[in-house]
Amino acid sequence: MTTTEGNAPVLSIRDLAVALPAGADRRWAVEGVSFDVGPGEIVCVVGESGSGKSVTAFSVMGLLAKGELHAERGEILLEGEDVLKASPERLRDLRGTRMAMIFQEPATALNPVMTIGDQIDEVLQIHTELSPAERREKVIAIMEAMHLPDPQALYDRYPHQLSGGQRQRVMIAAAMVLDPVILIADEPTTALDVTTQAQILQLIKEMQERRRTGVLFITHDFGVVAEIADKVVVMRHGEVVEQGPAREIFANPKVDYTRMLIASVPSLEPPTRTAASGEVAVRTRDLVKGYGGRSWLGRATRPSVLAAKDVNIVVRRGETLGVVGESGSGKSTVARCIVRLVDPTSGAIEIAGVDIAGLSTRALTPYRRRVQMVFQDPYRSLNPRRTVGASVMEGPMNFGLSREDALARARRLMGLVGLSPDALDRYPHQFSGGQRQRLAIARALAMEPDVLIADEAVSALDVSVQKQVLELLDQVKREFDLALLFITHDLRVAAQICDRIAVMRRGEVVEEGPTRELFLNPRHEYTRTLLAAAPGRHLGHPQAAE
Amino acid sequence: MTAVLDKIAEGAIPPGDAPTPAPGAPVSGLAGTLKRYPLAALAALVLALIAFGALFAPLVGTTDPTALDPANRLQGASAAHWLGTDHLGRDIWSRLVYGARVSVVVGLAVAALAVVIGLVIGLFTGFIRWLDPIVMRVMDGLMAIPGILLAIALVSVSGASILTVIAAIVVPEVPRVVRLVRSVVLSVREEPYVEAAVSVGTPLPKLLWRHVLPNCVPPLIVQATYVAASAMLTEAILSFLGAGTPPIVPSWGNMVAEGRLLFQIAPMNLLYPGIALAITILAVNILGDALRDRLDPKLAKRVGQR
Repeated sequence: MTTTEGNAPVLSIRDLAVALPAGADRRWAVEGVSFDVGPGEIVCVVGESGSGKSVTAFSVMGLLAKGELHAERGEILLEGEDVLKASPERLRDLRGTRMAMIFQEPATALNPVMTIGDQIDEVLQIHTELSPAERREKVIAIMEAMHLPDPQALYDRYPHQLSGGQRQRVMIAAAMVLDPVILIADEPTTALDVTTQAQILQLIKEMQERRRTGVLFITHDFGVVAEIADKVVVMRHGEVVEQGPAREIFANPKVDYTRMLIASVPSLEPPTRTAASGEVAVRTRDLVKGYGGRSWLGRATRPSVLAAKDVNIVVRRGETLGVVGESGSGKSTVARCIVRLVDPTSGAIEIAGVDIAGLSTRALTPYRRRVQMVFQDPYRSLNPRRTVGASVMEGPMNFGLSREDALARARRLMGLVGLSPDALDRYPHQFSGGQRQRLAIARALAMEPDVLIADEAVSALDVSVQKQVLELLDQVKREFDLALLFITHDLRVAAQICDRIAVMRRGEVVEEGPTRELFLNPRHEYTRTLLAAAPGRHLGHPQAAE
Repeated sequence: MTAVLDKIAEGAIPPGDAPTPAPGAPVSGLAGTLKRYPLAALAALVLALIAFGALFAPLVGTTDPTALDPANRLQGASAAHWLGTDHLGRDIWSRLVYGARVSVVVGLAVAALAVVIGLVIGLFTGFIRWLDPIVMRVMDGLMAIPGILLAIALVSVSGASILTVIAAIVVPEVPRVVRLVRSVVLSVREEPYVEAAVSVGTPLPKLLWRHVLPNCVPPLIVQATYVAASAMLTEAILSFLGAGTPPIVPSWGNMVAEGRLLFQIAPMNLLYPGIALAITILAVNILGDALRDRLDPKLAKRVGQR
């Protein structure tokens, strides 16, 4: 093994080509990929889904799905040694000692029935000859280095007793305990809240500086890239379209695709908007939703957890109200109460002046039409066994529209959301994520609602697709004079689309106000924390980047 | 959760923003399935033969299965009596073929009834919150009653008939189906597309029929085969114990019971119906396993890669 002198790259990928199985929509998963990662360098591989960024990372670890994908050409040199030619035994040895990987979802990457300490210890057991006492010492040391609170006590805890951010720290500790020369991070912060994400990014940066670890960071988020990258590799359809130092890529992107990706990231600077003056479409008064406390026969007792606490929000027609918060803030609970997918514990929900909070299923029916929802996961919000036409027409037909009229309406709406009316006969799996979200919007609009609720409706989409769907939402809002309640965790998106914003934390609205005012002059401390944690704050207003 | 699945999928093949194949999309048609599961094909063939024999019993070289001929009792196999005769001189082949009718009818009837009743109860129980604890406690109670005991009680009250036997086997099977359906409903009701249907005002019966029921069908088909197999076995046991079909009816259980008396003299009299029963149940179970593999996308993929 060659030693890494000076700045010789620790990882060097040369002309890598990985073939897709026969019958896929393209021949190569990745082709002609070449780049280097130097010691102490953070290289971000950016791309949308299907760009081959994860395949590249998995190739390095030798983790490509057996029988489906294999590297046909090229070499991956880890300190000069080609891992593509390494035997399975050698690969196993390299993983953990020389290279390590962390994944998107720390909750499932950890074994739920093993203590935290044992899971980190396992790496040492496999790869070293240390005595148990020495191993424990090393485990505690690395946990300390990862800023995990009270490592001695945490050693014997189980993963479910930790927060998401702490679990990701444990994953990083297990990855780093043997001081690998390269750490591969596959979307490690995507599943985390922004404030937690900021801390984890800080940790990765710190590690790379102190330990001189090379980091190969896979992400779709240009905000994160702006935050940590030394070097950027932009991938599309399995090929590298552009690479270079981060500063250069951001200041002077050479390829249109890179420009488009950067431009698609919504700016954190909200445009000036005029306050809406339409009639009030939906209003909640002291809305409370509690969970927990059920006796054995299923009778509800006093709720032990309050997911929403005295929430008062108002949305006018023609207005977009953003409800922003981290996971567990209760923002989705409020949305689901208003659609009456869950029954509120107390408080009022007024639709067109009528309180629907306590209405029975039967009495509620006429109001169902008025409030419609677009769900987060476009892959699960359409019944996979029914044609999309049947899904779009279902609502109007429930309200007595004839099949022909419903079909005519569905065809008109398909055109409106930018899809071919003939696609109504197809099944959901024949559409992409962005197209499905358009279908979900068409389904909601088919009900001719007053209020449209978008619950994280764009957070599962690629940035370029996200932008289009946001534009569509804004367009239909204006066209139909809708009241749009926009639930999101993404401040950038909220900044661009919302007229007013309500910030939620632990079930309560902590601050509410016009978007621009709230962004430029946040009053509540939590709002300030959220704004500070947004990755790549400078992105989108270049004057601040200087 | 979904994020992980996406991740895993992306790890295997990047799905991209491009259309992905439907989960569990048919790999190939019926022919392909049979080729992949040769044992299941054989089982299906055996079951088809048994069903054919049961349906056209008078046409497959049989005589009256209840005709006594004491002069020719306990004979070996011959051109007149393909499998010989029993202790009353009745033709064993004929009794075996007619006995298949009982088994097939009981198996199918119990499977159909248990699935239909269980499905209806399970759908509503899973979807209506306040109903759930009440119905499930009743089901727990039903499950606690041993099937055979219930059958014997029913037969002693209403007399031995095939209907009583069917009823007695259906009752303890229903809770199993209810549990299965309920578990599927509980997970499907959280799916966004079901919530979307609720929010466009789809009435409950339509909602269950369109969006929830289709998800229950694959596991139910598999469960139905197991119910059928177990019903056939239970029927034979009941007949053997004298609590099932009346002795005049030729059924495999009755034949085993009668053959038992003369086992040392004419062992085949007991073994023929025993073997028939064993083969039938084995075939049904193999078919059920193959269906389970085929209908469960995850298992189907694994079997396919082997």
